[in-house]
Amino acid sequence: MRAPRKIAAALAAAGLLASLPAQARAEEAADPHAHHHQMMMSMKRATRSTADYALPAIDLVRDDGKTVSLPAELDDGKPVVLNFIFTTCTTICPMMTQVFARLQERLGPERDRVHMVSISIDPEQDTPARLAAYARKFHAGPQWRYYTGSTEASVAAQRAFDVYRGDKMDHTPVTFLRAAPGRRWVRIDGFASADELAEALHELVAAR
Amino acid sequence: MPAAAIGRGGAGRPGPSPGARAGWALALLAALLPPAAAAGAPPVSAGAGERLYRLGLLPSGRPLRGEREGGAGVDGPDAACATCHRRSGLGSWEGQTVIPPIIGRYLFRPGARNVEDVNLPHVQGYVPHREPYTDASLARAIREGRDREGRRLGILMPRYRLDAATMASLIAYLKRLTVGPVPGVTSDTLHFATVVTPDADPVARRGMLDVLEQFFADKNGGYRGESPPLRSPRGVMYRVNRKWQLHVWVLSGPPETWERQLLDRLAREPVFAVVSGIGGATWAPVHRFCEHAAVPCLLPNVDLPVVAEQDFYPIYFSKGVLLEAQLVARQLQAGGPALRRVVQVFRKGDVGEGAARALQAQLAATGLEGVARAVGSGPAGPALAAALAGTGAGDAVVLWLRPGDLKALPAPPPGSAVYLSGLMGKLEEAPLPAAWRGIARMTYPFDLPEQRRVRMNFPLGWFSVQHIPVVDERVQTDTYLACVILSETLGHMLDSFVRDYLVERVEAMLSHRLVNGYYPRLGLAPGQRFASKGGYVVHFAQPTGARLLPDTGWVAP
Ligand code: HEC
Repeated sequence: MRAPRKIAAALAAAGLLASLPAQARAEEAADPHAHHHQMMMSMKRATRSTADYALPAIDLVRDDGKTVSLPAELDDGKPVVLNFIFTTCTTICPMMTQVFARLQERLGPERDRVHMVSISIDPEQDTPARLAAYARKFHAGPQWRYYTGSTEASVAAQRAFDVYRGDKMDHTPVTFLRAAPGRRWVRIDGFASADELAEALHELVAAR
Repeated sequence: MPAAAIGRGGAGRPGPSPGARAGWALALLAALLPPAAAAGAPPVSAGAGERLYRLGLLPSGRPLRGEREGGAGVDGPDAACATCHRRSGLGSWEGQTVIPPIIGRYLFRPGARNVEDVNLPHVQGYVPHREPYTDASLARAIREGRDREGRRLGILMPRYRLDAATMASLIAYLKRLTVGPVPGVTSDTLHFATVVTPDADPVARRGMLDVLEQFFADKNGGYRGESPPLRSPRGVMYRVNRKWQLHVWVLSGPPETWERQLLDRLAREPVFAVVSGIGGATWAPVHRFCEHAAVPCLLPNVDLPVVAEQDFYPIYFSKGVLLEAQLVARQLQAGGPALRRVVQVFRKGDVGEGAARALQAQLAATGLEGVARAVGSGPAGPALAAALAGTGAGDAVVLWLRPGDLKALPAPPPGSAVYLSGLMGKLEEAPLPAAWRGIARMTYPFDLPEQRRVRMNFPLGWFSVQHIPVVDERVQTDTYLACVILSETLGHMLDSFVRDYLVERVEAMLSHRLVNGYYPRLGLAPGQRFASKGGYVVHFAQPTGARLLPDTGWVAP
């Protein structure tokens, strides 16, 4: 795993004290374990690291059929939460997608200030129409978009985030968070819960 | 046998009894019988366990619900055990996530390894040397997510609140799942069939059979008689030496009778799977046979396959002419304001008829006017001229025609855009008259000749070494590829001869292959039944010769 010390340093340097969005605060107050929810919370089933990823200048096709540039799409100014999935995946992806669905619920009205991104690693199968249907199944809001494109573009995106494992069947669960364009990415390997993601996101945003 | 007669394709499906295996299976089955059943307690409903396992339906008909931490629960089909543990019950893996086998043969035995029992199929997710489950501890695993040793199961495995009767029917199903003799597998021979329909192209059919027969002969070249099991590098016992035997099932008569003919053949000559095969205008009866008889039918040569991706057993290279129809539809949608009408020309009873129908349906959604015209009987020239009558500027003409008709085309309609099916017209060899060559765009659902050249050295080299005349390069390459894929997949499975598992392994492994003849890449997944998903639109580079230039990149419509 990526050096955890670096993460700690990075987050400590950010020196944040969360001005958490209202909903999260309310839940914290009611949570007897609130003290665990401090910034360097550890996750139950995931490990966290930070990294700089250079975004390749590739085009992807969004679930509405529009061709968009990956860097431009991610640099829309909003915090980004990103994962890689494919719609006929039966095990890992539905779980990750459900976590995203819970995250969007958990964020409440806050969600519109976040950009959630799911990129297909089976782009020839996952046409925009299939992605749109998948998005509907998981009640994705307007802030949560799915992306496909050529096989080459999908592979380039996976390589950029160091998740390319050669084949869709070899993929592992990874989630990425970034507070704003130009900031470092937080990489979460494993199954982070929606609460953990919300928490991590709030930390990042607060630190911005 | 206890309530073995469950739905099609389930455990305990009928089959012949290859001697020793059957005896062993019966003994195991008896050993696995729940005491309750043995004591004459009311039998649990077999169908209920299967419906729950496969479809995620409760006996009440309501969707099954599985709970997971953090509210990430699953419902209905997503909660069905088969979604993760697969139809065979032998499990799977995704990245580092291992989904263990959950058939009774693994769960209820003390941690045997297949080293101690050669007949226990080797599967990736099986952890040997464990305590056996009991009905009670298995129910606890399913309800509370704790394994036989009380350890918490991973987060992916849902917890199911099932009542006692439902739990009993599920456990009974797990005990019956994937037991019993495997048809077409004996201690020294693996039996396979290939299917030939009466309307298949005779030249392509000969080419396909040459490849199949030679591949099987080659496979058996190293056979030195029955040998004791060997130990693989992974410590698994298996038999390297099994002959492959090919049964050529040549159908006759009208399509309505084919399914019956196939079932009869299967009863007489049990096979483990159907490999390759060749069809003409329709393959639907063969598709139905595969699905109903629960026989994997891998990668036949058919231009008009059946699109039913919820079906399990038939797997195709691509959607064929239906993929071409999608490629044309995409081009037409970008056709600009000058395009007013789409005129499709096809022969009744050929695969182009199905393609034309599919395209017509897609056009309906775009508001473009579509006309589909069957070429009449009589000499081709005048019949084609009649079909093309009145076409001109503002029209796009789509030709679903074979080489014989292409040769006989009259002068092209002035000002029309022209599309033609590469699959039907013989790709770069399409004998288009000169006046058409300059204007026609061809759908090309394969990699371009230049780009596949190096890859093609593999099949072409093999044909040449084996002295196989190349009479239909594409069909023969696809046939060879089907054989190689079958052989590789079985190699990975070692001795786990389970039909459902074969399909599941092809699904999981296919996209790892890098060299795929005519195709840039192949890939499947649960619910994906067409391995190659895209194509190009091309035109001829010169007035003569086979050089093509692409109008589009590789498009997966
Ligand atoms: C979403 C995927 C998923 C579904 C659906 C699912 N399982 Fe599992 N199951 C798993 C995974 C992953 C494991 C391995 C957990 C571990 O190793 O900790 C597992 C483990 C098990 C085990 C433990 C096996 C052992 O060797 O200890 C049993 C038993 C089991 N599942 C039964 C079922 C049954 C019965 C159903 C349907 C009612 C079902 N599972 C549905 C994913 C799933």
